[in-house]
Amino acid sequence: MTNKLTRRAVTRGLALGAGALAMPAIGRAQPKSVKIAMIAPMSGPWARQGQLLKMGAEMLAEDVNAAGGIKSLSGAKLEIVYADAGDSTEKAKNAAQRLLSDEPELAGGTGAWLSSFTLAVTEVTERAQLPWLTLSYSDAITNRGFKFVFQTSPTAEHQAAETLPTALKLAEAATGKAPKTIGIIQDNTASPVSFAKPLRDGGLDKLGLKLVVDEIFTPPLSDATPLIEKVRSGKPDFLLLLTSAMPDCKLVLEKLDEFKLSHGKVPLVGNGAPFGSPELLKTIGPELLEGLLFSVANWPIKGQEDFIDRFKKKTGEPFLTQDGLCGYGEPAILVQAMETAGSADRLKVADAIRAMDLTTGRAAQCFPGPIKFDEKGRRVDVPMIFAQWQKGVPLTVFPTDLALAKPFWPSV
Amino acid sequence: MTISQPVKHQLWAILGFAVGVLALSAVLRSDYFELVLTQVLLWAVLSLAWNILSGYSGYFSFGHAAFWGLGAYTVALGMLHFDLSPWITIPVGAVVGGLAGALIGFPTFRLRGHYFALAMLAYPLATLYVFQWLGYQEIPLPMKRESPILYMQFTNPRAYVALALGLLVVSLLISLRVENSRFGMSLLAIKQNEPAAEAAGINTWRWKMLALMLSGALAAAAGGLYAVVLLVVTPEAVFGMLVSAQALILALFGGVGSLWGPVIGAAVLVPLAEGLNAKLGNVLPGIQGVVYGVAIIAIILWAPEGVYWRVRDRLGKAKSASAAPPVLAAAPIAAMPRERREPLGENLLVLRDVGIAFGGLRALDGVDLAVPERGLYGIIGPNGAGKTTLFNVINGFLAAQRGTISFAGEPLVGLRPSQVCRRGIGRTFQVVRAFPRMTVLENVIVGAFVGAADDDTARRMAATAVDRVGLSARANAVAGRLTTRELRLMELARALAPQPRLMLLDETLAGLGHDDLGDILGVIRQLRADGVTVLIIEHTMHAMVQLVDHFDVLDHGRLIASGAPDTVVRNPEVIEAYLGKKWAQQVTEAAK
Repeated sequence: MTNKLTRRAVTRGLALGAGALAMPAIGRAQPKSVKIAMIAPMSGPWARQGQLLKMGAEMLAEDVNAAGGIKSLSGAKLEIVYADAGDSTEKAKNAAQRLLSDEPELAGGTGAWLSSFTLAVTEVTERAQLPWLTLSYSDAITNRGFKFVFQTSPTAEHQAAETLPTALKLAEAATGKAPKTIGIIQDNTASPVSFAKPLRDGGLDKLGLKLVVDEIFTPPLSDATPLIEKVRSGKPDFLLLLTSAMPDCKLVLEKLDEFKLSHGKVPLVGNGAPFGSPELLKTIGPELLEGLLFSVANWPIKGQEDFIDRFKKKTGEPFLTQDGLCGYGEPAILVQAMETAGSADRLKVADAIRAMDLTTGRAAQCFPGPIKFDEKGRRVDVPMIFAQWQKGVPLTVFPTDLALAKPFWPSV
Repeated sequence: MTISQPVKHQLWAILGFAVGVLALSAVLRSDYFELVLTQVLLWAVLSLAWNILSGYSGYFSFGHAAFWGLGAYTVALGMLHFDLSPWITIPVGAVVGGLAGALIGFPTFRLRGHYFALAMLAYPLATLYVFQWLGYQEIPLPMKRESPILYMQFTNPRAYVALALGLLVVSLLISLRVENSRFGMSLLAIKQNEPAAEAAGINTWRWKMLALMLSGALAAAAGGLYAVVLLVVTPEAVFGMLVSAQALILALFGGVGSLWGPVIGAAVLVPLAEGLNAKLGNVLPGIQGVVYGVAIIAIILWAPEGVYWRVRDRLGKAKSASAAPPVLAAAPIAAMPRERREPLGENLLVLRDVGIAFGGLRALDGVDLAVPERGLYGIIGPNGAGKTTLFNVINGFLAAQRGTISFAGEPLVGLRPSQVCRRGIGRTFQVVRAFPRMTVLENVIVGAFVGAADDDTARRMAATAVDRVGLSARANAVAGRLTTRELRLMELARALAPQPRLMLLDETLAGLGHDDLGDILGVIRQLRADGVTVLIIEHTMHAMVQLVDHFDVLDHGRLIASGAPDTVVRNPEVIEAYLGKKWAQQVTEAAK
């Protein structure tokens, strides 16, 4: 925030100074800066994700401004104001309200990572008619009939519907036969619950899968032994792992190893970006992660190699993840919208986003599929991405045309 | 009931406060500040609700999030599933909160102190998991574009300030009413000495339950409005530890057990935390928690009972330097009917074969006892003979395991102490059980409630009792500062206030000097002269011999002698019990 304050102060000071000097002489204002907002958890348990988002956003601002700002606004500089969503919905909502009060000229914004935060934040931004982009994928976010909220991730329902059929295809392609049985181990937090519900309500039957292990726990898990014993006796062809906290995931993986079920004896499929986080690698190690396959809303894909390199060099991160990618890509969509609209007026920016259909350019590069939203604010024609841990790096393996590596189906 | 001067002042203060908040809301130029102001008011309501139970009764709750969350979910689910407006569901939520209070109180009030506090901690945590299990991880309140006002969805944030203020004012008025009635007085008595309160005729169970239900209802109403303001309800946000902690910390900071403490706490800490979060949250993550913690440590060092009490003590000191000495402002004392000493009447208290054992120890073993109306009977016996146990069995602290006890022909066994007191039995304790932070008069008023239909009568009866024991001059002194003699007299007055028929005095003379003794003996004699029956335990033998009509001697839980004082003290069995066999023989021989 000090950064932001000084930078803002400096820009303001310069603008005022320059304006005061130049206005009477030239009669025309210097290119102003345009502001967009990012709300993300920068303190509390999800601070790390917020930091990654911010790294991406900072890189975007540098790129845009180095290339001469927003051209259709006579080179206006891009300024991103950040606010901390903290660790509660109340703080997230306060942050949104504060931003709107402090920054009346915002053209749009992005955030706030956790879906319950996003729900609270968008209650504020919607009323202010501020176009808002989010990677949160709860269906509720775009089920409320809001007009100014745009979801860049496929919704949870969509992800749940797509994950298993794709995993089955991958298995069949690799081994020649489709799996017949499945095990589910999940915690009872919001996203795993909404993910697994349609599967149990007939989804598995449609796929011809028999549920042989079905375990739900309340985090934190103290001991994974009873869960893994069920896996050992149930012998599922593969295991759907839906944990949202890393310590629980670690316990499950270690216990699988202890029961000699690791290294592909029971192939693992997960969902969500936490399954590809550098922290997971640090705590669990590449050995146990090898072969773990996970579906995710967005992951680095073919064509982003340069960007991945630059990001790693600049931030010192071992690899790029969804957060860094969307932290860059979502503001890029807003920039693109301002470029097209030729305005930083939030209503015009929102219209530009609604009319958008991008397949190339800075914004489109960050997302699989075209940047095109339906009337609910959901992206259309978004392929489900699969990444797989291979030698200590989670690499996109599906869809094939976007993949950075070839998938393998772990087998005995 | 007439409105007393201090209550009037408080009413004006509440009005002033409300006007102040509205004025502040009117000048604030930002929706963000209005939002923070709304939150200050809502958290203040939660903290006030907490204060009604924990501040007054001393039963600390670490679990008020349970009520807050139930209120929030009542509103959210009512709107989601049944399309109900918060105008309906907030009051419904309050009812749910009150019922939850009753459900929680029923098992939990069996516990005291830390055990109660820890047990309370369990309820929100358990409910949190229940709501997760039910699949209510994230409930957004649907946006109502058609009829926003019907669904409390205002575009002007000042509307929320007004709503929250309304709820706070209601809570303040309720708290004020509680504070100045026998409800609050009883809770304060419970906080300071629960057994004494029970023995003084206060049905502690009932008041505690009422306090928890009222507290739960207010907390749930605030939680419901919180859901309306936040528009998203998650189990972590409404049942989380932070909610319970917030309720407690705000009150501790502002001043526990005071009307304005929770409001002060909310007004200082909520904006402080939010401000720190806004300014420093993303530069020094977690800094708000650190500074918040430091602020609390500072306040605990500087004002351990909270800001309100500290400031009041400061102001109080400045005032009392010039103020006149306190005068008892009670109604004129009615002259007590001074009956002539009449002959002993029918048996008032009758014990038949009463027994109680603690494991292998028979504390009372087949005790038969009869005390006639207007009698002044003494119970003596060596240490551990079972004398205090006998009193505890009579007044209901302990339940007799066998035998019967009847008072004025009615059985007593199985009644709670407060019910025994209600039938007309007062008692004092071996170690004085005062309410140390109350004045002498207030201590006695607590005792008078049981015999008074309304609070004004209680006040008059208390003033009379204080006068009867000769403590009028000290009526406004705080009990914690009294001498032993004054404490004994005050306890006598407290037991006397509801005009009991029987007084149980447990070593009332213990620890007194010779001069002080005379005062108390005088009061006891006067009691008897006024027609009160007295049963007294005492060790000071020479005083007892002069005082009582009759001795009953207990040893090892059995009644070993009974009769007129001069015969009993010569009874060899009694001498043996006190002094051993050798002495008993010598005395018998000497007598020959």
